[in-house]
Amino acid sequence: MGRRIGADLLFGLTVLTLIGATALLAPVLAPYDPRAFSGQPLERPSRAHLLGTNDVGQDILSELVYGARVSLIVALGAATGTVVLGALIGGFAGYIGGWLDGLLMRLVDGMMSLPRLPLFILIAAFIGAGVPQTVAVISLLFWPTTARIVRAQVQSLRQRGYIRMARQFGGGHLYVLTRHILPQMAPLLISGVVNAAGWAVAMEAGLAFLGLGDPTAKSWGLMMRFALNLPGLLLTDRWLWWLLPPGLCVTLLVLALTFVGIGLERHFHPRLVRRGR
Amino acid sequence: MRARRRVLYLVTLWVVVTVNFFLPRLMPGDPLAALLDPQSSDYVFDPEVRAALAAYYGLDRPLLEQYGRYLWGIITGDLGRSIRLNLPVAQLIAGRLPWTLLLTGTALLLSSAVALAMGAESAWRRGSWTDRLLATGSLIVSNAPVYFVGTALIILFGAKLRWLPLAGGRTPFARYDSLLAAVLDIGRHLILPALTLTLSTLGAKFLLVRNSMVSVLGEDFMLVARAKGLPEGRLKWGHALRNALLPFVAHLAAHAGMTVTGALFIETLFNYPGMGRLIFESVGARDYPVIQGVFLVVSAVVLTANLLADLLNARLDPRVREA
Repeated sequence: MGRRIGADLLFGLTVLTLIGATALLAPVLAPYDPRAFSGQPLERPSRAHLLGTNDVGQDILSELVYGARVSLIVALGAATGTVVLGALIGGFAGYIGGWLDGLLMRLVDGMMSLPRLPLFILIAAFIGAGVPQTVAVISLLFWPTTARIVRAQVQSLRQRGYIRMARQFGGGHLYVLTRHILPQMAPLLISGVVNAAGWAVAMEAGLAFLGLGDPTAKSWGLMMRFALNLPGLLLTDRWLWWLLPPGLCVTLLVLALTFVGIGLERHFHPRLVRRGR
Repeated sequence: MRARRRVLYLVTLWVVVTVNFFLPRLMPGDPLAALLDPQSSDYVFDPEVRAALAAYYGLDRPLLEQYGRYLWGIITGDLGRSIRLNLPVAQLIAGRLPWTLLLTGTALLLSSAVALAMGAESAWRRGSWTDRLLATGSLIVSNAPVYFVGTALIILFGAKLRWLPLAGGRTPFARYDSLLAAVLDIGRHLILPALTLTLSTLGAKFLLVRNSMVSVLGEDFMLVARAKGLPEGRLKWGHALRNALLPFVAHLAAHAGMTVTGALFIETLFNYPGMGRLIFESVGARDYPVIQGVFLVVSAVVLTANLLADLLNARLDPRVREA
């Protein structure tokens, strides 16, 4: 190792750290309780309220700071769920092979051609979209992408000489899996987590924007929805401190995750990239 | 390969239809409980009335018979009735579908054309400032939420410059004297939503074209073509881009799905009278038959786009056809 960290990776990690720190330190950083009616409705930015207040007099900056928590919890939960499911199913299919592999891969094909957002909306409309439900549904809908990548990798690893050797020498399945296959999969799984986190953030914000979010967890998507619900918002300059900040935050977070994903890929597979140049 | 694809398409379509049938029935309570929410004002408490309602909707029949009736309904174009508007769902969707198709079709064509031209140019001058700027810019725009990009465009062109209408698919209550006036009005309303959708779907396509173009440029036949002394334009567009086109077409299906997904958000934001707006309105009113109907139709559209892209790819690439 000891390779230089690329500019994209550095940017992504910095932004992620900043947003993570904001989420952790929210009670310290936020000037008010985001639920408290700390001012008059629709105040303009002032010393007391740096980003003004919303239509019911809650401090927008505090909402923004606490919103980081919702986005990150959903991102972490859904990314973990997606990758665990995908790695288990994909790894199982690739390692076992045979008809079970065929069956699982048909399932993956089928699920990947399903239009996921409409399905998501349908499910969310029926079961409600609290944070746990959102995490569960994203995991259930997005595991096939990871499963396919993991399966391909496990399949190619299984054929390698040293793995067959380990089996020949009497290494059990569990031993081979944990000792030889899993360490090889680590880069792939980390990229998987990062990519899934990116989708999850975008999905959560999108669902909240459509009004299917958790009404008790005020995320950045939900803030945008409330802002846009105010008639004539775009005709005044109120969008500058109410709509723009949450929009920028979502964009920054998704962008940071994408950059980390690309940077990690470059870090782990430098040859892949050089060949393309 | 092609036959298997078609089978997969049919199976997926059947899965969508079946999920749509069973999902409400798997939820706690029966579909009527969802239909008439305990919190809603028209919740029916009287058990006799509930039984009558269940009989009216055929919910007292065996599950298999219900499923059969549901399938037959879909075949004959009966998707149930909207609770909110008391209109047939099929009629509601028929009024909205053309708008969504217009929006997604325009955006898909526009972004494909721009991505091909930009991607080819960018790969041709890889490593230059233009290339880097385009790659970074498209990454940023395609990562921003669609509705955020849309809002930025509305603020700039609609609210600040006042060049284009803020929302809607056409001028309300307008009566057109001629066909041209109608086309112009609808076109004016289409510009901003279509531009938003184009921008937000451009990035992925651009990167795909650029990367496949870069790998084509390294092929031996490009060297031969150059050695033959072909002019630069022929090399770039005739030889390189033509071969870089294949991965692009192969991914067209996934991109069509992404475009439809984006359209659902954009229609909500722009008050555009398509299916996305319909689903948004129905979610607010808990109008389940409409949400289910929209899900069915959108899924069918996306799956058909997948199939068409597969067939197109097979036409273009003999390797896929024979495999």
